[in-house]
Amino acid sequence: MDCLKTMPTIEVNNLTKTYRVYQKKEGLMQAIRGLGKREYKQVQAVRGINMQVEQGEFVAFLGPNGAGKTTTLKLLSGVITPTDGTATVLGHVPWQREDNYRRRFALVMGQKNQLWWDLPAQESFRLHQKIYRVPEEQFDATHDELVDLLGVRKLLGQPVRELSLGERMKMELIAALLHSPDVLFLDEPTIGLDVVAQHNIQKFLKHYQQERKITILLTSHYMKDITALCQRVVIIANGQMHYDGSLSGIIDEFGGHKNLTLQFPEGIENLPDLAMYGKVLEVQTPRVKLQVQRSEVGQVLASILSVHPVDDISVEDPPLEEVIANVFSTATDPGEDASA
Amino acid sequence: MTGRLTLWWMIFRISLSERLVYRGDFILSTLIRFMPIITQVLLWTAVIGAGESDNIKGMDIGDIVAYYLLVTVARAFSSMPGLTHGIAGEIRDGQIKKYLIQPIDLIGFLLAKRIAHKLVYYMMATIPFGIVFFLFRDYFDGWPPMHVMLAYIASLGLAFCIGFFLEATFGFIAFWWLEVTSLMFMYMLMNFFFSGHMFPLDFLPDWLRNGFDCLPFQYMAYFPCAVFLERMTWEQTINGLWIGFAWAVFFFITTQLSFRFGVRRYSGFGG
Amino acid sequence: MSTSKAPYMSILATVARNSLIREMTFRVNFIAHSLSVMCWTSLQIIFYNLIFQFRDSIGKDTGWTKFPFFVFLGTVMIINSLMQTFFIPNMREFSEMIRQGNLDFVLLKPIDTQFLVTFTRIDWSSLANLILGICVIAYSLWQMAFTPQIVQFMLFPLYVIAGVSIYYSCMLMMSCVSIWMTRNQSLDQLWFYVTTFSRYPLEIYKGSLGLPIRWIFTTAIPILLVANVPARVLAKPLTADQFPLAIYSLVIACIGLYVSRKLFLASLNRYRSASS
Repeated sequence: MDCLKTMPTIEVNNLTKTYRVYQKKEGLMQAIRGLGKREYKQVQAVRGINMQVEQGEFVAFLGPNGAGKTTTLKLLSGVITPTDGTATVLGHVPWQREDNYRRRFALVMGQKNQLWWDLPAQESFRLHQKIYRVPEEQFDATHDELVDLLGVRKLLGQPVRELSLGERMKMELIAALLHSPDVLFLDEPTIGLDVVAQHNIQKFLKHYQQERKITILLTSHYMKDITALCQRVVIIANGQMHYDGSLSGIIDEFGGHKNLTLQFPEGIENLPDLAMYGKVLEVQTPRVKLQVQRSEVGQVLASILSVHPVDDISVEDPPLEEVIANVFSTATDPGEDASA
Repeated sequence: MTGRLTLWWMIFRISLSERLVYRGDFILSTLIRFMPIITQVLLWTAVIGAGESDNIKGMDIGDIVAYYLLVTVARAFSSMPGLTHGIAGEIRDGQIKKYLIQPIDLIGFLLAKRIAHKLVYYMMATIPFGIVFFLFRDYFDGWPPMHVMLAYIASLGLAFCIGFFLEATFGFIAFWWLEVTSLMFMYMLMNFFFSGHMFPLDFLPDWLRNGFDCLPFQYMAYFPCAVFLERMTWEQTINGLWIGFAWAVFFFITTQLSFRFGVRRYSGFGG
Repeated sequence: MSTSKAPYMSILATVARNSLIREMTFRVNFIAHSLSVMCWTSLQIIFYNLIFQFRDSIGKDTGWTKFPFFVFLGTVMIINSLMQTFFIPNMREFSEMIRQGNLDFVLLKPIDTQFLVTFTRIDWSSLANLILGICVIAYSLWQMAFTPQIVQFMLFPLYVIAGVSIYYSCMLMMSCVSIWMTRNQSLDQLWFYVTTFSRYPLEIYKGSLGLPIRWIFTTAIPILLVANVPARVLAKPLTADQFPLAIYSLVIACIGLYVSRKLFLASLNRYRSASS
């Protein structure tokens, strides 16, 4: 066990997943024809990802649709096998699918449902207990704790199909956590939920993670999820990693500029032409918004102030969403280097 | 009137293009549906072979095989896949409202849609039916005379009308009882037996057989086949056509009534 | 960390219980389904009764006279009922999962995937036919001139299990093949009609039309063995000429389970490397 402690919980080296798709055609004739000759298209879902995650970290995967986030989670949970590269989670190779590994993690997918649709969630929990071999007392304790934390005791007897999306997601989380996994993979857990439900799920995840010190990997489209929960962010686009670090570090690395807002005196006749200093983003007389290279901010400010009358100045980082959207759009074009 | 004609033409074109997309699969799956004929041929060959005579109640192996083939034709007219289910479904999830608001006669609309589907089906099914009937041509004694053919065509038309209005009535029962589709399966089993789909009704004891004449079921499968194979006198044929016609009218009325009263009940609830 | 086997029996019991709760919430459906299953069976009995009005046996000198044949029919009912209750809905669901790429949750669970896929749910309402089948057999045996020996009663369940295994293996392999094939209804339909061959005595498959069917469906796709072998074991005197087919069907059952397991694992591997 000592050697396991020194090892990171998740270690990923050069993880690559390529799969082939072909244009499926309907019908028996087409299917028979398809057996002989098929036209394939190679899709590179994940291209050489490297990362390490320590025990107790809460890591967010950020990326546009089809970036490879879900594929990475599926690789780490052993559902699919990689084309190349290695990975260990809790000292196991996921795609060897040992039972001892499968009992120690859980995967929750916001878009898929694993509870029995027509039955109360309680019955599905019982089945999970049997499948994961959770001892009776432990099951009762965990179950009660989770049910109370998520406030769903009243809903336990209702068929899952009658629950709202948010309530159903809470039940999915309970089902996933009943066997007290050490690693939790969450794929878009708040997708389609309203703000209140999103907030409740976030609150629960934060509390649960801090209490249990488990390792969580989360993918999400909502910045709110990520800012609320994760200390560490990994940006994946086009199957590649583009950033791995703290949330605020994204701006330092990719936000190559700052936004200057200059307030000129009320009633000024002609606003000065500021194009020589940087990109003019917005003119709302008497206010001008200017985008300036990070390194030139001091110099630009000094020269503007020495020539023009300015009432007020503010210097801001660009909004996070904007920076990230920028990273995504540059990343989808492999010709350009995002960090340049 | 022209408005209705354009509507029908549109419905027809849509169903045609729907079918054409899967034409390869359609021909194959229609052919596959003839597979039970093989076991019927083998089973009845074995049954007849176990006795002295070469026939059962006047039907030799050729007649029996011809009968089973003709039943598939009759069923192509009288079966209404998805009709009851569709109506009951629309009542259940409230979709039916849109017909009550729009200036459409729902029964007329369903009928037009069904006729269009059937016409397209017959156009496409000619090829697989042609193949099978050609392969089994030796089991037939040739075409019946002209007047019998006319009676046959009339009986197929009746089979369609009875099938449509009977199943539509079933669908409208959902106004009162939502679970009607779960019992549909049982009705279909009974129909399979009583209509002569399972075996020629001639094999039943006479007292039972005569009773079946008065029920609507045999007009959806057995009767057209019996007309084609000339298993009845001309008088019996004409009589049968009248009884079939009476059943078609009867179910036409039940369809209208169940719809009218159903809608009244439905809007009474404010649903 | 414990290394004992996962408690498969208690998982099965939970699945059985959950399925029953589910069916009880749709009571009308449950009753309607049970009734229609029994209805179908009664119609079949009436149909064959009619046939036996005209002839003493099905096929000349086949030994399938009325009551032995009803033992055959009862065997068909028992086997179909077991298949419908336990396997057919699950296999259909499995093909559907493959086609839609929904196997993820099944693959995550720390128990054997084939077990999980095979026993996702149980269709209790189809069990009505099992009871009916047993009744039909009991009545026919009582009416039959020939009384089977104790050994035959003991062998019968064994061969029913062998028959179900053969049927199950075929179903599983069919489902696995859908990984390689695209979705198509014709294939499902074809399979449905092919399985109806198994509901008739082997003896009717003769002549230029019947013999090829008999050969294909006792060797390549051995579904003709499914009901025929157990029915013969019970309904006909136990003589030496029965042994070859009986032993053959046991061998086929074992091979079938083995090969279908291999194919299942291979298709999972393919699923794993082919999806994202």
